[in-house]
Formats: sequence, structure tokens, C-alpha cells
Amino acid sequence: MPRLEWQAALKALAGFAIGVAFWLMASPLYDRAIAASAQGVMRAFETPKVTRLRPADDNYVTVDRSDFDPRSKRPAISVRDLTFNIVLLIALFAASKRTFSDRNIGGFLAAAAALALTHVGATIVEVMSIYVAKLGPWSRVHYSDFDRNLWGVAGHFYRLVLMYAIVFALWWTLRDPAAPAAAVTAKKKKKR
Amino acid sequence: MLACYDAAGPMQRAQVLFLAKFFGVLIAAYLLIAWNPVNDRVIVPFTEGIAVASGALLNAMGQQVTVQGTAISSSRFGVNINNGCNGVEAMLILLASIVAFPATARARIAGLLLGAVVVQLLNEVRIISLYLLGAYYPRLFDLFHTAVWQIVIILAAIAFFLVWSARVAPTRVASRA
Repeated sequence: MPRLEWQAALKALAGFAIGVAFWLMASPLYDRAIAASAQGVMRAFETPKVTRLRPADDNYVTVDRSDFDPRSKRPAISVRDLTFNIVLLIALFAASKRTFSDRNIGGFLAAAAALALTHVGATIVEVMSIYVAKLGPWSRVHYSDFDRNLWGVAGHFYRLVLMYAIVFALWWTLRDPAAPAAAVTAKKKKKR
Repeated sequence: MLACYDAAGPMQRAQVLFLAKFFGVLIAAYLLIAWNPVNDRVIVPFTEGIAVASGALLNAMGQQVTVQGTAISSSRFGVNINNGCNGVEAMLILLASIVAFPATARARIAGLLLGAVVVQLLNEVRIISLYLLGAYYPRLFDLFHTAVWQIVIILAAIAFFLVWSARVAPTRVASRA
């Protein structure tokens, strides 16, 4: 394996460790911001505006609707489980040959902003998955089988692979051209 | 430099093509494995095989575990291997990226086979370490289960793809230069 890739691996490892620490520390605040944004988007499309996403103390967000029976138990989602792919993004950008170049930092910030939008989308999908399938007779009355399949598949697809594929695509698009594989390829080309 | 590697300036056509193929293959492969007959006849037996191998390794390490279907358990702790913990997610990312990247069919097949072996070997380490964490350091289990190992497995798959693509790309660079 070329020496350059060992350096990239070490940088990725450091980025991974920093990413985990950052994610653990920032999650409580970040998850609140994502929940508030998701609530805003959902209410913008609701008539009447009934959805409320209330952050709880245990890293969960309670899904509430003002038209629910006040005596019924409220479901909750873990926004944290939807956002940990930021660690992968940090590790990938850290592996760049020029980690702190303007190009790499700019690419990372743009990718992180785009990723935050996908986190809002994933939270909405998670809430809709609850609405369409997990509220017993209420779900059956208000949503069709097509809705249940659509939101169920969307939620499962995001959690299984899409959350990683989005990060990979953002990094692939916005990375510094001196990222590991590109540099190695250029080096081999020169030798020829 | 080959266009698909060049992220400078406006997105190149080859890069757009790579991403379009990547997501196309990913969606098709996901829909295939999420289809109940494929899930029941391929994914579940495959996951049971992983559980059997992990159980055998844990028993060889002195842990007295029993395996039932996709579940590994002992008097200390138990884990159930579901989708997302069987390495299939990383194999899908690898499949989509290798198929989307311009290469010969032979190089793709070799990359897919070797990549699948790498991912699954690492996944065995994940399952065994998660069992041991759950049994002896339960406070760390959630963190490692939810975030750490998921990211490590995907990072390994991406790293494998980058090494593979760097090795198969020069011939194309030479032929186009």
C-alpha cells in the first residue's frame, strides 16, 4: 500500500476520534435544532398545524400532536441515531492530504450544511413513519397502505444505507482534489 | 487527471455519472434485499451464518454462548444480529461504488469479492467485540453499537473502494491521456 494512504488512514482515525467526541458533545444542542427545524417544515405543510416535537432529557424527542387524546402515551424518536453520520463526514475530510487547506475546510463546511438538511429530512421521515404505522387504529384511519409502505421504506432505507451514502457522495463531490485516491493516481500517472 | 477524480471547478460529467450510477445501483440493490422473499431466503440465512461463526469464535475464546437463529446469548449477555449489523449495508455501499466506477468486469468482480471478505471479517470483529462489551462493559455498548462500529465498517468499505479504484484507474488514465 502506498505510504500516502497510511498517512490518510491515520488522519481518518484522528478525524474519527474527534468526530465521535464532537458528536457526543454537540448532540443535545444539535438534536434540538434539528427537531425544531423538522417541526417547522412539518407544520408548514399541515392543516391544521398540529405536530410538536419536544426534546426530552434522555436524547429522545417526543412526538406530540395537539389533536391526540391528552391521556394517550406519546411516542418518541432518537434524533441522535439519525445524525451520527457526521462522524463519518469528519473522518473522510480529515483524511485529505491537505486537511486544513481552504478548499478542504470550505468543502467540509458546505458538506456539513447539506448534511444538516438531510438530518431534518430524516427526522421528518421518522415522524411520518410513526404517524403512518405505529399509532394503531389512528394510523389505519388516517393513512393508506401505500403511505405506510412509502414512509416505512424511506425510513428503513435511510437508516440502513442512505445515511452513509449521502456522506460518501458529499465528500466525493466536495473534497479537496488532493484526497488520497486522486493523489495516488496522479503519482502513478507521472511514473508512466 | 481523470475527470471523475477532479473535484475542482464545476462538477464534471464523469463525476455526475458516477454519483447517478452509485445511487441508482444502491437503490436497486436495497429494494432487492428489502424484498421479503430475498430477505427471508438470502439475508436471514446469511445473517444466521454470521451468528454461527461468531458463536463458534466466542466459544473458542471461552465464552459459553448458544446460537439460535440470528441471536447469540449466554447467562451474561445476548445480542441479536439484525440488518444493519450483518455488514450488508457496507457491502451495498461497496457494490454501488465499484459498479459505478469505470473499470473492467474482471476488476469489478475481484474488487467485490475481496471487499466482501474484508467487510465480513471486520464485521466478525464487530459482533464479537459488541458481545464482549455488552457482557463486561455494558455502559459502552450503546455508543459502540450505535455509532462507533457502524462508522468503522463504512469507513473500511470506503477505504477499500479508494485503494481498489486507485489501482484500477491508472490503465484508464493511460489509455485516455
